[in-house]
Amino acid sequence: MNSSSPNKSTDNGPVLRDHVYDGIQEYDQKLPNWWLFTWYITIVWFVIAWVAYYQLHVGESGQEKVDGQMAAIKAAQLKEMEQLSDEKLWAMSQDEKVVSAGAATFGTTCVACHAPDLSAHLGAVKLPGLPLNDTEWKHGGNPLQILNIVRKGAPDITKGMPSWEPQLGLNRVVEVVAFVLSKHKKGEPVTLAADSPLKAGAATTAPAAAAVSATPPAAGK
Amino acid sequence: MTTNATKITIEFDDRTVRRFMIASIIWGIVGMLAGVFVASQLNFHQLNLASWLSFGRLRPLHTNAVIFAFVGNMMFSGIYYSTQRLCKARMASDLLSNIHFWGWQLIIVSAAITLPLGLTRGQEYAELIWPINIAVALIWVVFAVNFFWTLAKRNEPSLYVALWFYIATIITIAMLYIVNHLSIPTSWTHSYTIFAGVQNGLVQWWYGHNAVAFFLTTPILGIMYYFLPKAVERPVYSYRLSIVHFWSLVFIYIWAGPHHLLNTALPKWLQMLGTFFSLMLWAPSWGGMLNGLLTLRGAWDKLRTDPIVKFLIAGVTFYGMSTFEGPLLSIRAVNALSHYSDWTIGHVHAGAMGWNGFMAAGMFYWLTPRLYGTKLYSTSLANFHFWIGLIGILVYVGSMWVSGIMQGLMLNATTPDGHALVYPNFIETLTAIRPMMAFRIIGGSLYLLGMIIMAVNIWLTARKGSPVNETREVAVIETNQRDTMGLKETFLNDPIACTFAGLVLILGWLFLPPGADIASLVCALVFGVLAVKRFQTGHHRWSNWYDSLLTNWLPFTVLTFVAVALGGLIQIVPTVLVNRATNVEDRIQQPYTPLELAGRDIYVSEGCYNCHSQMIRTMLPDVLRYGDYSRLGESIYDHPYQWGSKRTGPDLAREGGKYPHSWHYDHMKDPRAISVGSNMPAYPHLFTEKFDQGTLWKKIGVLTRLGVPYPAMSETEVKTKAVEQGIKIVQELETQSRAGAMPDSKIVALIAYLQKLGKYDLVDPEQMPLAKPEGVPFPLKPGIPDGYRTSAVTK
Repeated sequence: MNSSSPNKSTDNGPVLRDHVYDGIQEYDQKLPNWWLFTWYITIVWFVIAWVAYYQLHVGESGQEKVDGQMAAIKAAQLKEMEQLSDEKLWAMSQDEKVVSAGAATFGTTCVACHAPDLSAHLGAVKLPGLPLNDTEWKHGGNPLQILNIVRKGAPDITKGMPSWEPQLGLNRVVEVVAFVLSKHKKGEPVTLAADSPLKAGAATTAPAAAAVSATPPAAGK
Repeated sequence: MTTNATKITIEFDDRTVRRFMIASIIWGIVGMLAGVFVASQLNFHQLNLASWLSFGRLRPLHTNAVIFAFVGNMMFSGIYYSTQRLCKARMASDLLSNIHFWGWQLIIVSAAITLPLGLTRGQEYAELIWPINIAVALIWVVFAVNFFWTLAKRNEPSLYVALWFYIATIITIAMLYIVNHLSIPTSWTHSYTIFAGVQNGLVQWWYGHNAVAFFLTTPILGIMYYFLPKAVERPVYSYRLSIVHFWSLVFIYIWAGPHHLLNTALPKWLQMLGTFFSLMLWAPSWGGMLNGLLTLRGAWDKLRTDPIVKFLIAGVTFYGMSTFEGPLLSIRAVNALSHYSDWTIGHVHAGAMGWNGFMAAGMFYWLTPRLYGTKLYSTSLANFHFWIGLIGILVYVGSMWVSGIMQGLMLNATTPDGHALVYPNFIETLTAIRPMMAFRIIGGSLYLLGMIIMAVNIWLTARKGSPVNETREVAVIETNQRDTMGLKETFLNDPIACTFAGLVLILGWLFLPPGADIASLVCALVFGVLAVKRFQTGHHRWSNWYDSLLTNWLPFTVLTFVAVALGGLIQIVPTVLVNRATNVEDRIQQPYTPLELAGRDIYVSEGCYNCHSQMIRTMLPDVLRYGDYSRLGESIYDHPYQWGSKRTGPDLAREGGKYPHSWHYDHMKDPRAISVGSNMPAYPHLFTEKFDQGTLWKKIGVLTRLGVPYPAMSETEVKTKAVEQGIKIVQELETQSRAGAMPDSKIVALIAYLQKLGKYDLVDPEQMPLAKPEGVPFPLKPGIPDGYRTSAVTK
């Protein structure tokens, strides 16, 4: 390979082509075998993979996989929900570990709208959320009602509260609710807000129905 | 070979070479300065000093400047220099050279003015508005005429490999640029692309990926084939490697575009083609690297002493690294991690700074002494440039690797039971990569410093010498041996016949209905064996034909065009014609109201797509974080599509209705008031400026022509609807105690758009035109709904 006179074509050395382009010459070396084999392997892989994945449908598609995973998550959540009750959530609000975990999530996820002190006010500025430190509740003040709003969002999502369960997962949602409950007392009086959809009246069902048709099922349906 | 030689003296046009070189260096510094600035904006949001200095508008300026101004001018200077020598002829027309040079600079200046003003088409590297598009196409044609005219007048019968790459560059860029910029104007500064949703995505990345291939790669490979053997004074390693890697590269590259859309709503067969052609592209790319590196055999010592060789060899090495990384990132599983992250940013910068930038530097240091008839002012400054540039690249690319992989892992991390995200807050993942963003500024600045040192060195060299135009005595060849190949000779020969027959069989395998496809594959394999046998017995015939092809520029160009056109045709035509009706999956987007459309145009104009995607992939972490995965039908009316390619912020595909108006109102005024630690720019000007009511009716008219189902509306109706919806939003804002918004302000239009994102109607599967669409003679497989994502529709 180390031809001592590279500018001449020799019998056993690489072939130097005759033609010279503006002083540039070209050898005509054989293609490196390792290079050729790398290429052949990628081509063979194309054929095998196309036949397997496209023609024979080996394995799951991305969609099937996600659909399966989301169904499993939903089933697990249903099971967990069965075990939850108002009593249990109140009990959790006394569990320091759960509450501090909830406080951490609240601190990063909820404060933008509900403020660190749950008042939904930063100084004089009203934040987008509703206050959580008083006894007036728009969507009901029972622990399970609060939990449901954090999980699924407000009935009319354009008014505010998004659905947090997909992003946070049920465990974190429960922790956050426990944190909020820790700022309240079990058995305190609960009033419904004036514009509460839970109050009997004509205005209650319409926005909720509109929201259902207009919003994508963010939680895996 | 009988030749009747008359000798004449010609003077090469080196003035144009000098001009392009100087322009490249100046624009390179401008473009990289913009790069350092936008990189700093990512870490220091305060640097979004004004609306025209905000990240979303300047980032396109950076990418366009580096690609089209820096590398573009560099490529032209290298092509003008080497083509004249390889053809032994002066460029055909000085007038065309002048028009080409000044026209290109004018385009760059107009881009530098329009992009900060927010005038954009909203597609990456295809942002420039339509009047500039036309100018680019015209100037490119001027360049092409000048180049091919020179080929026709050449005094060297045979085309050297560098010229092959130049030919591929010129015809392919023309094809890509024109198709991807097909638009209908709505005003002098605005147009809508004729493609929407998935079609737009597919065409965009056919263009985008192959702009990398044919603007940043093939011309530079041509330049490598000329300047590297010149610099190291050694013969090129292997002629047959040149042939094999040239033809495989130009053929395969075109198919790889869909790897930019992996795990998205893009039909499966296209995703798979994207991945597998990217893998098959690895070896052809490395063929170029090997031919570069191995040319140095027997002269490795020059690597120690000559900064030019250092730059060229490091450039080729970076080329090899990037073209290995590319196929790696095209693997679905890797892409699930890397896509939308800084890893991709690092990948392109290894290519742009390492391959393009270093090849440019090597070429300029080689050219300058020859163009100014003197010695380089300072070799040690050039050496310093090399080392500081190399450190800059390594710091930059290294930090982007760490950043991309770290953020990708964090975004995709789920709890051990797989039921929840570990890092549900996007901001957490952004905060984690902040230090890496700082390193990127350092790396980029070091590299920019190297460029400035080069500019000074070349300036001092030029001052020392004076501009020289090389004159040379050449033999004018009167011969009947060149440019005589006819149609029959071009196509009816063993190599072409075998290639085409093989291709037809392979296409049958990809496209024919079940049963016939496997038969076609078997035929292809048998045919392949026979073709190899035939080559082994008759390879002299094959190589003789190729040698004579090299003396015929037009047949060579035609064959190159066929090779590059095939991949695009096969991927795009079925998607535009066949898939249009069937591939909406189970949902169809609700068309935008006039106000929402106005808001969308603001979103595009502000360059929001530079940081926000609108495509939720079929991956659990994406679905948990952003909602149900996106369906094809959900962007079917989007001209241009806004799927995006980078998530510096979260995906917005289902942003609509997630938060109240007041949230967006506050967030656009001061993002950090809502989301602590955000690096998003504030958009105060949206609160004072009014959205454009004047062109709204025209815009809706154009969209209607493009197939968006708007009801017939008069100009007044359009305006009334827009303002009415604006008033409604203002009232809702007031109930959320955000008083003072104007119904015709940009912020109101933008809120209307953001609240619409992700709104769709369900499509009744019974009503879906699942049967074969009209006008298609037989059922092509990709026309049959893709069994991969459409189960919801068919079952």
